[in-house]
Amino acid sequence: MSLLMRAYLFVFAAFLYLPIAVLAIFSFNASELMSFPLSGFTLDWYASLSANRTLLTGLLTSFLIAQPVAILTTALGLMAGLALTGKRLLWRGAFIAALLVPFIVPKGVLAIAQIMLMSRFGIPRGPGPLILSEALVILPFTTLILTAVLVRLDRRLEEAARDLGATPWTAFRYIILPQLKAALIAAYSVGVILSLADLTLSMFLAGRTQPLSVIVSSAFRTSLSPDLNAMQVSVLAVTILVVIAVEIVRRRAGGRPVRFAEHDATAEGEDIAARTG
Amino acid sequence: MAENGPIGWRPSRALLALPPGLFVLVGALVPMAILVVFSLFRVEDLTLVPAISFDSWSKIFVDPLYRHLVGISLTYGLITAALAGLFGYPLAIGIWRMSNTWKGVALIVLLTPLYTGDLMRLYAWRLVLGTEGLVNAFLLWIGIIHAPLKILLFSPFAVHLVLFYDTLPFMVLGLLVSLERIDRDLIEASRDLGASPLDTFTRVILPLSIPGLAAGGFAVFALAAGDLLTPQLMGGTSGVTAMAMIDNLFGTAFDWPMASALAVALLVSLLACLVILGLAVSRLPPVQAVLRGGAR
Repeated sequence: MSLLMRAYLFVFAAFLYLPIAVLAIFSFNASELMSFPLSGFTLDWYASLSANRTLLTGLLTSFLIAQPVAILTTALGLMAGLALTGKRLLWRGAFIAALLVPFIVPKGVLAIAQIMLMSRFGIPRGPGPLILSEALVILPFTTLILTAVLVRLDRRLEEAARDLGATPWTAFRYIILPQLKAALIAAYSVGVILSLADLTLSMFLAGRTQPLSVIVSSAFRTSLSPDLNAMQVSVLAVTILVVIAVEIVRRRAGGRPVRFAEHDATAEGEDIAARTG
Repeated sequence: MAENGPIGWRPSRALLALPPGLFVLVGALVPMAILVVFSLFRVEDLTLVPAISFDSWSKIFVDPLYRHLVGISLTYGLITAALAGLFGYPLAIGIWRMSNTWKGVALIVLLTPLYTGDLMRLYAWRLVLGTEGLVNAFLLWIGIIHAPLKILLFSPFAVHLVLFYDTLPFMVLGLLVSLERIDRDLIEASRDLGASPLDTFTRVILPLSIPGLAAGGFAVFALAAGDLLTPQLMGGTSGVTAMAMIDNLFGTAFDWPMASALAVALLVSLLACLVILGLAVSRLPPVQAVLRGGAR
């Protein structure tokens, strides 16, 4: 790789982490005012954070919302992925287009439209609608993660199990599921992380519930304060740890799906015959 | 052989499309239809009158303000997509050429900012661009300027910069997916046949990566044109976009029909732009060659 390319990549890595680094620096800066030059090192903001009931309750709320979101969106993403990689899916193009709708439609428009629908049925805003809405917006991501692994699985393992009399459930449970473990963990983590990261949907749909992002955003509109930085940096640190852990698990398990050792011409031929026949 | 299996097991896998399909139907498609219905209602004394009326739609078409706002949103989308394509392409190429281990590291580096959430990114950019922020402090320190620059924050520049920052990973990911699909034999063949690295790039790699460029571009365009928070929190007076107006009409003015009409107008304009761009891209000679099956 040329020196120029290395420099280019490095500059953009710096660009991506510049704001985050500044955020982190001020969370250790010994001054109420967030301005340069820096005043000295302190852990006071992290200490005052641990006493800040509002922020901690907000974090707990966000965490409790993120769990059902991740479970729901991973389960639905798995079903969508299995359907997409199956052979006899009618309306395949329409199904893919439908899955992309929550990604393409601006989140604000989606939330407003959902509130209008809810108002027709007298459903109040609150954690329930927020969980469903977040799961919907994250669904394209989990579907992508799971489908990417599902397409690489060797179909013949499943077909062999079926030929030997396994029910569809047994074949799924003992053949497909073990190969999906890493992808499911990745999808679940992305679900939790993107749910924690959400603000737009929460602003519209949370009702009286106060997730962390909503609390921070109302503080953010009035003034900036270093203990908010400390909160953001803590959440980010956890996020990065999760991302790295997932990547390590994925590399160990999911990178290489189980394959037949002998990939000879006969098996290839039978496979093609089975597909076309 | 699988054909001899118990009848009905193959369709059962396709049936799994039903739960996510229904979820999207009820959660996204029905609300979009409701939006159209509400845009045809009227508001009298802050109450909704469910009778067909074209008040809101006539305002959309007559009042130049709404056209202007949709125009601003689309412009933000197009400029962001162009910037992300321009700067993202070399990034994608660089990552694509890395070894597998480094590729994994590069992807983590690329995606982690995406996971930090809209709010944290906006918050952090304020610390960088504000009057007492990093950039101003640095420029003052080296003596290029003598008073803090005010146009860094709450300006179209800030909105463009943050939208670019937010959407760049989607562009690079889209490009990487299509670069990874390129058969490396094609590249070697072109080198063996005497093509210069530049020729290999412009005649093999670039045409074959256009689907990724288009996919990334579409994603970036839709995300940037429909973003609510970035223009609102970074743009100051320049942050009034169609989306901000929809939020205002919906929340503050309680004019749901007008909010719906503008939302539908924005969505239709977004789709129209995507279709026009899609058609334009598919007309490009190298893409035509790929579409005809010249290379795979």
